[in-house]
Amino acid sequence: MDWGPLILTFKLAAVTTVILLLISIPLAYWLSNSKSKFKPVIETLVSMPLVLPPTVLGFYFLIAFSPRNAFGSWLNDWLGIKLVFSFGGLVIASILYSLPFMVHPIQSGFSSLPKSLKEAAYVLGKSKLATLKKILLPNIKPSILTGIVLAFAHTVGEFGVVLMIGGNIPGKTKVASIAIYDEVEALNYTAANNYSLILFSITFIILLLVYLINGGYLKRFWK
Amino acid sequence: MKYIKSYFLLFLLVLFSVACNDQNNQKITIATSANMQFAMKALTTDFTTKSGIECELVISSSGKLTAQIKEGAPYDIFVAADMKYPNEIFNSGLSTFPPKIYAHGKLVLWSVVENITPSLKALQETSIKHIALANPKTAPYGIAAVEVLEKYHLLDSLKEKLVYGESISQTNQFIISKSAEAGFTAMSVVLSDGLKNKGNWVALDGDLYTPLSQGVVLIKNKIENNVYAQQFYDFLFSDEAKEILKKFGYSVDK
Repeated sequence: MDWGPLILTFKLAAVTTVILLLISIPLAYWLSNSKSKFKPVIETLVSMPLVLPPTVLGFYFLIAFSPRNAFGSWLNDWLGIKLVFSFGGLVIASILYSLPFMVHPIQSGFSSLPKSLKEAAYVLGKSKLATLKKILLPNIKPSILTGIVLAFAHTVGEFGVVLMIGGNIPGKTKVASIAIYDEVEALNYTAANNYSLILFSITFIILLLVYLINGGYLKRFWK
Repeated sequence: MKYIKSYFLLFLLVLFSVACNDQNNQKITIATSANMQFAMKALTTDFTTKSGIECELVISSSGKLTAQIKEGAPYDIFVAADMKYPNEIFNSGLSTFPPKIYAHGKLVLWSVVENITPSLKALQETSIKHIALANPKTAPYGIAAVEVLEKYHLLDSLKEKLVYGESISQTNQFIISKSAEAGFTAMSVVLSDGLKNKGNWVALDGDLYTPLSQGVVLIKNKIENNVYAQQFYDFLFSDEAKEILKKFGYSVDK
């Protein structure tokens, strides 16, 4: 039993989730408040990864990230980043792939807050940023938690995109889903089952904890 | 009332058209592995013109096809790219006869990057950052590629550069998109119509790797199609089929 793929999976999911959170809060805030003409277009773009088959998405990434194409070579020459067959590339791809799972819950959270909450804070002389930090975000904690969990879980279960741009390199891009796929391909169903069981157990516990917290069961239990 | 009548007619029409599609029984479903797809398309076209039997190709990796056949997928014949998977089918009691070798694959080293001339020596140069090969755990061409690298004692020094496609198709994607500057693939790929003049390739000496014997098995499932499947099976060993296989970069004598 090789633990490498499992560790790599959770590392990828953690890194992706943290970066996504930093991107999604401002993006979701803007989407929930904006009256801009571009809003529907941006919303559509954010939701696109839900529609496109992951392998197709991965294939486009492969083309875009290729060091022989404009974008890929620009990254390579100016920033020294090679995105195909690297952990960094998987992170970028996973961010785009899991974006709707983080943005949608947070955006709904912002939209569900009554306008008077914000207005009261402004009237009392708080800046926009302070209002966001001290009033809005604490009030949508469950939405943020849901976003974090969904994005994390979605990245753990990611397969098609990684298959396309990862190159199956042990320790770099061979995540658990790929390892399971390999074992199934090689007709080693026992090994595939072992990986799957561990993945299933860990994700089950994580999700269960979140729903317990979000449902307020833990608070009731501790009282 | 009028609407109900037209609905009913429409319903009948749909039913009729669905039923019509099932009338055509002169059809076989052929499961074939990814690296055989180009040759198989040519072979089935030729076979259909001669016999009038339509062929439906299901292209996937051998591992997936084997799992599907074990679970009763409606395939009549399995044209594989190695012996391991068809043997697995036979050992599971899903075919009457053991797999028969119909061709041997050839391994090539291929690059579509301008100014890279592929050779085992060139793989060590810094201009080649990634070398694509099919996963040696599952794909016969991957195993052959690893054998070649081992023979030349290159495996350790090139380990950092190797990237693995899950099948020949994906390995080709890595090479064609130039994400990998060079890679090992099947000769049938670089001789296929769409990729004939793309980049440069060099065939690797057949003595460097274990022969890539490819087997075919008839699957025991639907009785009524067996006659047609048997016809295709026989056709695969005919001189015409051998010519086509040769044209696509397989060797048929041995």
